[in-house]
Amino acid sequence: MADYAPVDLTAEGQVEFELNGRRVSAPAGTMLVDAAYALGVEVPIFCYEPRLGAPIGACRMCLVEIEGMRGLQTACSTPVQPDMVVRTNSDIAKDGQDGVLEFLLENHPLDCPVCDKGGECPLQDRTFRFGPGRTRFVEAKRHFPKPLDLSSVIALDRERCISCYRCVRFSQDVAEDKALVMQERGAAAEIATLTGDQYEGRFTGNVIDICPVGALTSIPYRFTARPWDVTNTPSICGHDATGTNVELTLREGHVARVTARPEPNYAVEEGWLSDLSRFAYEGNRAPDRLTAPLIRDDGRVKEASLDDAVDAAALVLGRGGRVGILVGPTATVEEGFLAQELARTALGGARIQRLGIPGAGLDAIRSQPRAELGDIDGAGLVVIVGGDPPNQQSIVELRVRKARRRGAAVITVGPRPHALEPVGTAVRSEPGRLAAAIAALDLPEAASTIVLWDEADLAAEPDAAGALARIVGDRGASQIELGADVNGAGLRALGLGAGDVLEAAAAGEIDTLLTIHADPLDGPGAADWGWALGRVRARIAIAAYASAVTDASTVVIPAATHYETDGVYVSMTGRAQRLRPGATAPAGAAPGWELLIALAHRLGAPPPYRSAARAFAAAAAARPALAGLDYDVIGVLGAPVAAVTPVSPNGVNGPREAAGTGLPLVTTTRIFGNAAAHRSEALASVRTGAELVLNPAEGERLGIADGARARLRSPHGECILAVRLAADHPAGAAFATTGVPGAGVERLLPADRGPVNVEIEAP
Amino acid sequence: MNAAAISAHIEPIRHEYAEGRSLILPALKYAQTEKGHLTREDIEAVAEATGFSAAYVESVASFYDRLYLQPTGQRVVSVCVTLSCMLRGSDELMERICDRAGVSHHGGTSEDGMITVQEAQCLGYCDHAPAVQVDAEQTRGPLTLDDADALVDELRTSPRPDELWR
Ligand code: SF4
Ligand code: SF4
Ligand code: FES
Ligand code: FES
Repeated sequence: MADYAPVDLTAEGQVEFELNGRRVSAPAGTMLVDAAYALGVEVPIFCYEPRLGAPIGACRMCLVEIEGMRGLQTACSTPVQPDMVVRTNSDIAKDGQDGVLEFLLENHPLDCPVCDKGGECPLQDRTFRFGPGRTRFVEAKRHFPKPLDLSSVIALDRERCISCYRCVRFSQDVAEDKALVMQERGAAAEIATLTGDQYEGRFTGNVIDICPVGALTSIPYRFTARPWDVTNTPSICGHDATGTNVELTLREGHVARVTARPEPNYAVEEGWLSDLSRFAYEGNRAPDRLTAPLIRDDGRVKEASLDDAVDAAALVLGRGGRVGILVGPTATVEEGFLAQELARTALGGARIQRLGIPGAGLDAIRSQPRAELGDIDGAGLVVIVGGDPPNQQSIVELRVRKARRRGAAVITVGPRPHALEPVGTAVRSEPGRLAAAIAALDLPEAASTIVLWDEADLAAEPDAAGALARIVGDRGASQIELGADVNGAGLRALGLGAGDVLEAAAAGEIDTLLTIHADPLDGPGAADWGWALGRVRARIAIAAYASAVTDASTVVIPAATHYETDGVYVSMTGRAQRLRPGATAPAGAAPGWELLIALAHRLGAPPPYRSAARAFAAAAAARPALAGLDYDVIGVLGAPVAAVTPVSPNGVNGPREAAGTGLPLVTTTRIFGNAAAHRSEALASVRTGAELVLNPAEGERLGIADGARARLRSPHGECILAVRLAADHPAGAAFATTGVPGAGVERLLPADRGPVNVEIEAP
Repeated sequence: MNAAAISAHIEPIRHEYAEGRSLILPALKYAQTEKGHLTREDIEAVAEATGFSAAYVESVASFYDRLYLQPTGQRVVSVCVTLSCMLRGSDELMERICDRAGVSHHGGTSEDGMITVQEAQCLGYCDHAPAVQVDAEQTRGPLTLDDADALVDELRTSPRPDELWR
C-alpha cells in the first residue's frame, strides 16, 4: 500500500546529500527511505508505514550504508542530513539486505502456491529483488494449525507473520481500538486479540491492506483469484458522503474485492477505509437486486427486454399527465442532470426534486470556507457539532483521532453520545437546543480551527446553523459538512431542491412519477410520502434494488449500481470525484445515465451526447457550481466544485418547534445498521438492528423495561422497536435507530427530517 | 481478583514508576496471588486498574513465563537448566523431580493438582547449583536426588500459602 510518504522535492528548505554517487536534495526532516523513493531509488521496507506514526525500526529491512556511521543504518528512521553520503547498493548494504531477508524467511513457510498473498506479496517481491537466492536454514520451521479467524472477515495465518507490528500499530495508534497485540515472544510470537475475542470495529479491514505478507487475509476474498486474473479500477465508495477513494478488484465481471488505492488520496481517506466501504460490495449481487425489467399490466407482471421497458416507460411518461421526477441520494451528477434535462425538454413542466434534506437554513454555514478531510489533522482545534461521524462518515473519526494525537483540542457538542466524544471535551446539548449549547461553548484559542457540522441536525435547527456560521466567520475558521447523503452535494450543485414533488403530489398534482434510485417509501417521511403518492396513477422506477416503490411501479427498469457505472459524485467537502465501472451490470440492467438518454430519445428530445463524459460536460457548462470541470480535470484524485456564494448568517430564524407531543426524538445511525450492510454477507456477523434507547429514568417513568418492546408514535407515523435502557443516554429524549431496513423509524419523521416528538407506550 | 483490590495494591507504588505502563507487571503479579494463575476476569480487572486495554495487558502477561494464563498446581517448582546447574546435574534432577511428582520429563502438573514442575533459566543461584525455586518464595540448592524426593513429598503435604507469589 502506501509504503512511502509523498515527498515534495521542490519545497523550501532542501537538504543536499549524496545518494549512490549522485548529488541530490530533499526537504529537511524527510526520512531517507522516502527521499530515496522520490529520487528513484527503492530501499526495501516491511515495517515502515508513514501513516502509522513515527517509524519503529522493527524489521531491519531498510539497512543502508552511511559514510562515517558504524554499521548499517535503518533508512526508515534516519532523516536526511546535509552532505551525508548514502549507499543503498554497495556490497555491504546488499549483504545487510540479504541477511535480513534470509533471517525473515527462516521461520517463514514460503507456501506461496497456496498463499492468498502470492503475486501481490511485498515479501515475495522483495525477496526476489533484494534477497539471497538460497537459505542456509535446515532446522524445522514453526507450525500452527491454520488458519485462525481473527474475525468473521479476517483470517490469520500465524506462521507467515514477520512481526512487523504494522497491524498492531494500526489498532493501537490509528483506529485506537487497542484490540490487536503481539502475544508471547521470540519464535512463539503471534498476533492476537484478547483471548476469546474477535477483532471487531469500524476499521478492522485496513490491517489486511497493510500486512506486508499473507498473514492477514480477507475471508470473503480468500482463494477467489490471483492478481493476474483480475483488473483493478480506481473508484469512489458509494456508501457514505465522504467520497472515500477505493480500488475495485474486478474478476469475471463482478466486484471481487474493495481495497484502499495503492496511492491513497491524502486529501480524503488517506488510504484508510471503513469496513462498510470495504465489505459492502457483496451486496452488489444481493437477492433483492433487480436484474430483469418488469412491466405491470392490469396487475399482471411480465419480464421484458430493456428496450421494451424503456419504450413502455416513454409511452407512460409521454401520455401527457403531470409528471413528477424523484432523484435519489445515490444518483450521480449525470443522472441528476439528465433527469433535469428531461423535465426541461421532453417532459416540459414536470416537477423534479432530489430525495434529501432541503436545508434552507444551511446556506450561511455552507458558504463559509470549506476544508478537506486532510486538513483536519493539521488543525489546532476541531469542533464537531451534532451528528455521529464514526457511524455516518466513518473515516472522519480517524482524522479526528490523528488531530488529537498531534495535539489538537477536540470539542464535541450534540444531542447523542458517540465514539468521538471521549476523544475530547464533550458537551451534551438538549434535543432541539443546539443553538443554546453552541452559544455557551467556550472555545480555546487556536491557530487554525475546523468546524464539522451535521447536515441533518443543523437543518432541523436553522438558528444553530446561523450561530455556527457566525462563529466560523469570526474565528476565520473553516468548515466541513457531515453530509447525510452520498451525492447530496452533487445533486445540490445541479440546483435540485428537495420539496417540490412531495408538495405537488400531496396536492394531487402529480399523475405520473419517475423515480431514479429513489425509495421515498423507505426513507425519512415514508408515511407522508405514502400518503402523497397514493394519488399518483402511474409509476416508472429506475432502480438497482427492489423496494416498496418498485413493487408498485408500472415499469421497472433495473439500473447499474455505483460499482458498475461511470459518473461523478461530489463529496460532502465539495470534491467532485469519478466513479469508474469495476463490474458489469447484470444483463437486464444498464447505467442510469444510459437509460435516461434512451428515454429522452424515445420521448423525442434527444440530447446531443451519448456518453457519461459528455453528459457531465454538458452539466458543467450549464451549472455554475460545476464550471470548469470535466472528466480530465477531475482525474484520478478529484477536483473541487465552486464555493457557495457567501450568504449572511443573519436572518436565519428558529428554533423550529418539534411537531407532536411526548419525548423529543433523537435519531441515531449505526455503521452496520443500514441496507448496504444488511445486504452484504461479509458483514452478517456485525450488522445491527434498530432499537429505542432510553435513559433508565425515562424507562421507569414510562413503565418500560429493558428488552421490552415499545410503540413509538409521531404526528407522521408509528413503528415498534425493542427497548434498551442505557445510563449513558440522557433523560428527556428518545433515541431511535434510523436506516435499518424494515424497522420503520423513518415513518416517524417528516420528509425534511425536521424535529418531532414521539409518544411511547407498550404495544 | 477485582480491580479495586488491584488498585489498592498499585496506587501506593505508582510513584516508583516513571510510566504508568510499567505498573501492569506488579498489578499482574499481585492479581495472580489469588488463584496462582490469571483468568480473563483478572486480566480485565488489571486493565481497569491500570487504564490499558485488556488485550494489551494479556500480551504483557503472555510475554513472561512466570505469569500463568492456564491453571497450575498448588505449588510450582522451577528447575534451573542453565549452564552451571546443567554441569552439576540438572538434567537428572529435573527427571527425578518429574518422576516423583508423576509428570512427564518435560514438566507439567501432577494429577492431584498439587505440583507443577517446569524448566527455568538461570535463577541467579549458580553458586548453589543445581538449584530449584519453589513458587517465587524460596530458592534451594544444591539439591541431591534424594533432596529432590524429599522436596516433592514436603510440598505435597504442606498447606497452600495464603498468597501465591510466583
Ligand atoms: S506471505 Fe508472501 S512469501 Fe510468504 S507464503 Fe505468502 S506469498 Fe509467499
Ligand atoms: S500479521 Fe502482518 S501486519 Fe501484523 S505483524 Fe504480522 S506481518 Fe506484520
Ligand atoms: S522498514 Fe526500516 S526497520 Fe523496518
Ligand atoms: S545456572 Fe542455575 S542458577 Fe544459574
